Order: sequence, then C-alpha cells, then structure tokens
Amino acid sequence: MGKVFVFDHAKCNGCRNCQIACKDEHVDNDWSPWAKPQPDTGQFWNRIEERVCGQVPKVKVSYVLHMCQHCGDAPCMAAAPDAVYRRDDGLVIVDPEKAKGRRELVEACPYGAIFWNEELEIPQKCTGCAHLVDAGEMPHCVDVCPHEAIWFGEEGEFPAEIAAAEPLVPERAAVDKPRVYYLNLPKRFLAGIVIDPEADEVITGAKVTAENLDTGDVLTTETDEFGDFWFLRVAEASWRVYVEADGYLTRAVDASTVDEDRNIGPIGLYES
Amino acid sequence: MGDKGYLFVDHEKPFRYEDEGLTVTRGSAWSGPGCHLGCGVLLYTDENDKLVKVEGDPENPYNQGRLCARCLALPEVTNHEDRLLYPMKRDPVYRGQTDKWERISWDEAYDLVERKFKEIKQDYGPEAVLFMQGTGRDISPYITRLCWSFGSPNFSLFLSGAACYVPRVIGLAGTVGAFLVPDCSQVHPDRYDNPDYRIPETIFVWGNNCVVSNSDGFFGHWVVDLMKRGSKIVVIDPKVTWLASKAVAHLRVRPGTDAALALGMLNVIINEDLYDHDFVDKWCYGFDELRERVQEYPVERVADITWVPEEKILLAARLLAESKPATLEWGVAVDMTKEAIPAGQAISTLFEITGNIEVPGGMIVPPEILKYVGGWGKDLLPADAAEKRIGQEKYPLFASEAQPDCIVEQLETGEPYRIHGAWIQTSNFLSCMAADPQRLYRAIKDIDFIAYVDLFMTPTAMALADVILPAATFPERNGIRLGDGAQRGETINKVTSVGECKSDMEINLELGRRFNPEAWPWDTVEEMFTFLLEDDTGMTFEELQQKAPAYPPFEYRRHEKGMLRKDGAVGFNTTTGRIELWSTFYHNAGLDPLPYFEEPTPGPGSTPELMEEYPLVLTTGARTWSMFHSEHRQVKRMRALHPDPLIEVNPQTLEKLGMRDGDWVWVENQYGRAKRKVLATPAIDPRMCSTDHAWWLPEGDPGAFYDVFDLNINNLVQWSPGKSGFGSNYKTALCKLYLVEE
Repeated sequence: MGKVFVFDHAKCNGCRNCQIACKDEHVDNDWSPWAKPQPDTGQFWNRIEERVCGQVPKVKVSYVLHMCQHCGDAPCMAAAPDAVYRRDDGLVIVDPEKAKGRRELVEACPYGAIFWNEELEIPQKCTGCAHLVDAGEMPHCVDVCPHEAIWFGEEGEFPAEIAAAEPLVPERAAVDKPRVYYLNLPKRFLAGIVIDPEADEVITGAKVTAENLDTGDVLTTETDEFGDFWFLRVAEASWRVYVEADGYLTRAVDASTVDEDRNIGPIGLYES
Repeated sequence: MGDKGYLFVDHEKPFRYEDEGLTVTRGSAWSGPGCHLGCGVLLYTDENDKLVKVEGDPENPYNQGRLCARCLALPEVTNHEDRLLYPMKRDPVYRGQTDKWERISWDEAYDLVERKFKEIKQDYGPEAVLFMQGTGRDISPYITRLCWSFGSPNFSLFLSGAACYVPRVIGLAGTVGAFLVPDCSQVHPDRYDNPDYRIPETIFVWGNNCVVSNSDGFFGHWVVDLMKRGSKIVVIDPKVTWLASKAVAHLRVRPGTDAALALGMLNVIINEDLYDHDFVDKWCYGFDELRERVQEYPVERVADITWVPEEKILLAARLLAESKPATLEWGVAVDMTKEAIPAGQAISTLFEITGNIEVPGGMIVPPEILKYVGGWGKDLLPADAAEKRIGQEKYPLFASEAQPDCIVEQLETGEPYRIHGAWIQTSNFLSCMAADPQRLYRAIKDIDFIAYVDLFMTPTAMALADVILPAATFPERNGIRLGDGAQRGETINKVTSVGECKSDMEINLELGRRFNPEAWPWDTVEEMFTFLLEDDTGMTFEELQQKAPAYPPFEYRRHEKGMLRKDGAVGFNTTTGRIELWSTFYHNAGLDPLPYFEEPTPGPGSTPELMEEYPLVLTTGARTWSMFHSEHRQVKRMRALHPDPLIEVNPQTLEKLGMRDGDWVWVENQYGRAKRKVLATPAIDPRMCSTDHAWWLPEGDPGAFYDVFDLNINNLVQWSPGKSGFGSNYKTALCKLYLVEE
C-alpha cells in the first residue's frame, strides 16, 4: 500500500496552477531532510505539457502532467541506493545531503523528473510535498487544482481509478511500477468527413468501419450532422476505413495513426 | 445604516487571524498586478509583515477556493526586486534617457504634479491635460473623479476605438438599456445550489478563451463547473482551444467576421421560425426590420465569409433556439474589430429573440453597486468644460470618455486646441494597448509635462515620464472591489508594505484634494470607500471588511417587475421600454439602427489585391496563463511558462514558407513589423496566424525602451475606429512572415 497520485486528463484544462504551486512551495523554502530549495527557473518538478494533435480542421488540445512517478521499483534508487530511498508511505526521496555531486541521477530517471541544481550541486525532484504530508496536508499541487484533476492519498482509497488507469510510459511500467496513475491519457484519433462531391454536400448517417490492419480489430461509427466521423482513443496502427451510404458506392481508404493522430480529410462518395 | 437585504456567507474565522506563526487575512484580489476578477483570497504574512503565500478562500462563493497562477505567484510580484520603491523625477528635456532619474520625496512629487498641472490649467485651460488609464486595474472611479474634479473632460485610454469591453457595454446600453452577463449563478451566495438557478443547457463561448483569460468579472472555471453539471458548449474561435476540443460544435470563424456569423445564425432562427414569439411580441422592438435585415445573410454567403461550414452554422443556430436556457460568454474579440458595435449587437440579438434574457441560466443584467464604466463624479465637470471633450462631436456615442483616436490626432495637429499635460496611471501603452505605438510616441513625446503611476519601470515610463509615482500592489493597500461583471461587496485588505509605494486611490485622493478640495472631502481612502458603499450596502468599509462578500438582493425577470427602469415601469431602460432590435439610440446618433457586417480592412474580403504580398490573416492578443497584458515579464517562474513572444502558425504554412518551429521571424505588413518566435501548431488554420501581445523585455535595453518597438505587434495595427468611434481592427490584419537575419 502507501501513497499514490491519480491524474485525470479529462479534467485538466492546462491552467498550470500545479506548476506554479510547486514553485510557491519549494523555491526559497528548505524542506530538509526531504528537499533543499528548488531554483526559480530551470527545474520543473511538476510540469504540464500541452498536446495539440491532428490536422486542420480536426484538432484536439489536451494536457499531460509530468512529475516524479514515485516508482515502486525506482530506477533512481537502483542507481544510487545509498542516496535515494523510499519513505514508509511510499514517497521516493532523493536525500539532498547524500546525493550531493551525484549528477548521474538525472540520467537515471526515464521520466525526466530529476533535475540538476548547479548551485547546490545536487539532483532534485518532487518529494510529494513530504513536509506537508507529514503535517496531514495534501501536496500543494493537489490542493490548488481547480477541477480536482490531481488526487493524492492511500492506494486503497482509489481502487476503481487504479483499475482504470494507465501508466505514462507503458513500456517502462512493468519494470518501474510507477505510482502516479493516469486516467484518460490522450490517445490517437482517426477522423474524417464524408462528402458527395457532385452535390457539394456532406453525407450524414454514413456507416464508417475502421479495420485495424495490425490486429484485425474492427470499429464502427456513423457520420454526424456535419458529415464528420470520429474514432477516438484508438490504437497506434495502420487502418483501412470503409465508408458506406445508401445510394452511394462504398469506398475504402487507408490511413495510419502510428506516428500521429489522423484526420483523413474529405472522403468523396459517388452515387451508385 | 440599515439592512439593505444583502446576503452573506458564514465565516469560520474573523477576516484576520493567526495560523501557525503566520497572519492570515481574508479579502478580495484586485489589483495590481492587473486582473479582471477579484477572487476571494487568503493572504499569509510573516512576523515582518512580508507577504509569503496566497491561497484561494474556500468560503468565497466566487472562486470557491480556487485561484489562477497569477495569484499563486503574487508574492513574486509584490516582493520583486525591480519594483519602483520611491518617487522619481526627470527633466522633460531628458525624456527617454535612462540615467537622468532623481529620487524625490512624495511631498516633492505631489508639489511638482500640482504645480505643473495648475500652470497648464491657468495658461491653456484644464482640458489641455489628459487623464489616461490602462485596463484591469482598480482605478476607474478614482481617475475619472480626479480628471473631472480638475476640470478636464479628457479622461480616456490610449486604445483605438476603446476596443475593449466598453463597445459591448455601450452597445447593449443602446439596445437593452443595460449590460448583460452570462448567469453562472455568480449572483447567488449558494451558487449552483440556489433553488431559483438553472444550469444553462448550452453555453456559447464566443471570442473568449475564458479558462485562460478570466476576463470581465468572469471566472473561466465556471464554464467547466457547468460542463460537469451538464451544460453543452459551442465555441466560436479561430483557434482550437481546450474548450473547443470539448465543444459539441467548434465554429472556426475567420478573425473579424463574427458579425456575419451571428447574422447568419439569426437568418436561420428567424426564417425557420425558431425564435421566442412570446418574448419578441412582449419585450422587443423592431423585429420586422431585423427580419428584413437578416435576409441579406443567407447561410451560404455567411459560410463563404466566415470560413465556417454551413452545417455548423445551421447546427449552432438550431441548438441555440432549442436550448432553454442558453447563455453567452463573449470576449474582447468582439470589440477588437472595427465594426464592433453592430457585431456585439448581432451576437446579443441571438440571445434576445430566443428569450434568454433575465431568465435563470441565461443572460442577466449584472447587479451594480457603482456604475463604474461611466466613471465617478461626472457632475463635477462644468458644462462648458464638458463641451470640450475630445471627439464628442464626431462620435456622439462617446458620452463619458474622450475618443482615443481623436486624442492622437489632436496631439498631432493641436486642433482644436493643444494638449500640454498627461496624467498616465497604470498604462504601459507603448507596449500594450496603443495601435501604431511609434506614431503615438512621436505625437506625445514633446508635450510639456507627463506624470506616470505604476508598479515597475516600463517602456512607456522610460520613454515619456517626467515624474513617476510608485503604485502599490493590492496586498499593500485597502480598497473595495467594484468592477466588471456582477458586483458584490468585497474589500481589498492591506497586509504588507513595500518601499514608499502608495495605492492608486491614495495618490488620487491626495492630488484631488490639492486640485479641488470640495470634490474630495475625505481624510482617508477608507472614508472615501465608505461614501461609495454606504448608500447601496448600508455598510461602512470597516463593517464590510468583517462581513464580505456581500451579495446584493437579486431577482430574475426584473423587466416584468419594473426593476430595470428608474421610473419603475415594466420593461427595459430604453426609449421604447423594449429591447430595441432596431435601436433608436443608434439611429439618433446617426448610425445604422440594425446590426450589419462589414469586411475588416485590410482583409481577404476587402483588399484582395494585398493578399499576394501579405497572404496570411493575422490575429493578435492570444492570452497566456501566466501574464496579464504587459505585466509579469520580470517574474521568472511566470516567464518560464512563456519565455518568448510567439507566433502560432500551421505546419503546412511553415512548410510552404520553408520555416520551422522555433525560427525567429519578422511579422510584417504595410504598416510595420514585429519580431516573433514561431510555434508550429495545427490549432491554427493554414490561412492565418495568431500571436500574443504586449511584449517588452525587462532584461532588454532601457535606452531602446526595453526593445518594445521591435516586439510590439501593434506596429502592424492602425488607429482605425469604427463608424461609431468604438471598435478597431486589433484582431484582424494581414501579414507576411520572413526569417530574422542576424
């Protein structure tokens, strides 16, 4: 058990309060033994990344939280077992005294969550606001979130969320056992618009089937009142998209979401 | 003092209390640094009265414990090492020179301003002094009173067409007889739980990235609160924002064509007979004329003008008509187009003829304790002085302030009279609001005397000021929060001191007493605040400190109850007593009484011949989370969120231009150019680009006014007001991009 963070992307509108609250809490404040002061700039123990995905006119904006994952098997602990430790409540701490001069710890973190403090010559990162947690309070980033997109507490408090969650970096999850749980992480979309080029009109209610050419999985939807179709939160894959509508010839189009979200653009159907 | 029916919330503690070695003071957050809201805050000070921490006040229904990054970083502004700490003077012959400043005492500073302004008044008349303000600062009542009690009619701001908020306010005054704001339950202390309140079925977010901008008394998170409670949103914005990503429909309108879009939607609602017959019959005037006008805007034509597909216009119009209630959160984009008055008129008409006025969850007339947009103390101005207000003959809709574009012309020509002095309070106009800032700089730089009040040294102060008075941030002063949106009784409470800084109102009170003692009969600013408060609230400043926030009694459907007109009659406060879809007010001012659309100039619709040279539509003024207009550039952690002036360009466009993300470019048109760093993003249509505004570099060259003329995007914007004198094309221009050669 122990403490965990849960972050829900669906609720984050990118306000950066968490990022600034981290500065408010840690710049000019020495919270030894958990952390020395954070520099005003150059370090982001808590950082919001804006992701703008797709192609005009089908574009989505979302935000992703980056912070120490307080891993169950932390690579930084493995790299410096004498200088990094886990508290009884699960928070991973880089000891500011013992880690002095250990610049290699910055590289040891696969999440980019450890920063080098030039002036103090120490590696630094999120402490989970251990000093506040010990006083029975919430980490400051959690406290200031306007929409409760970041939660913190005992693992046992969030069974449903943890069951639904994903790791930030899936390929590292089994090894690192990160303890920041992500809900509704941005996923690829596959979208387009179905039109009748001869009538110069959109076609509503067209049946759209997307076949995942890598796995054979099939998704279906219909075009909406704008003639648009959206497959949200799809896999990174190659797709064949079939479009059918009454009175029109069926068309198939290939598209890829391997590298980025995909707006196929207009798909013209001709009368049968 | 009696009970005026105000409503309060329960407080667990007094407004000031001790907590673990720190003193906590409850109050309102307004301003400087600039802001348009006034959230409830808890200010934490240490044993030396230093501000060390700011938290949202969970007891305050307005923000319910939440803040934005700018309040969380408030101590970094208040305690910043670059703050102006004491008054300084510089001989006018050395304007623009960095090493001629001389520290002076407050007495000397006041004496200097008093003597200079009185000399100008004696030699040339009081109208020869301008009183100019910026935005988002709690000074409007006090600077207007200072101006008028001095005897000058020339209070204004250096913003072409006063293109911010005021066009919408004046526009609605001329059609509805009052301003309208979206009802997000902000008038109720129990907020969303109020039994009379209804959740809007659909919220139209129009020209406003409200979760970032928090503009005009509107806390952007309310939209998200309402989305969580079931409201749908429709977003009208050229750019894909987070809100647009969550919208049932996003109408990616071409900058400056909002009026056409609204008229197209009106066409659908009227021709498909979707309007509220009962409300139109009972409460609206001029519907037949409106019906005729909107026939000029069929959906196909509007789709061509606006870049919004027909299907989306139809859907938005039908959804608005079906939604009971629907409401509108609109932004400055409506004002920052040349024909702002008819644009605002067209958009508000949508919500009027669908019966969304004065209903729960619709659009409501905001309760006001002080009608601050009209200023405070206009009766102090003698009638003969009022006649000399700049621009009033040309633009009769300007009833209180001097018309800014006419001021610039008059500075240049000296006609009909020459300007000799300027009082500039909290307005860094050379980097922020002035169009064509280098023209204004040339026009004003040789007038006799310029006094300037602000928090930090700015490009404007370095270029122009002869005396500079250091203003307080809000934790350094007492005050009352009477500003944009639905007003409530809130106090701003002093918790700290920095240098010799004084509050804007303290400065105005002292100078006012020197100019015109009868107009300023108060010994302290607190007495002045009590005077402003007591009629409406029945409370003194000190009583309100304890009890705030205080909510004025509020009812819906006030037009049915005779509560919107001074004469107590039912209806709206207009000539006809109805909402005037055909405005007698505009008609009497010689303006078109009906809403219309005109192509922004220059633009693809009005100047196609320029498109070869300047192929991209440029929109400016994109808001950032961490900065308020030209402020916050010197606060390192805020600057780190947005270190450079950016121009957002679609990757396809960049590919054609052979440019890349991160390149430094000149953005240029026929009027001037400004330097920007490219941000490649699909959030922007390939036919346009978008940039943030108000840039200067506190770390730049003070002798070059902190590089402002290299970075100011308004180099590309002209002084070009609409026909009413309101509105200007800040958000619609053409441009080209080319790489900066080192």
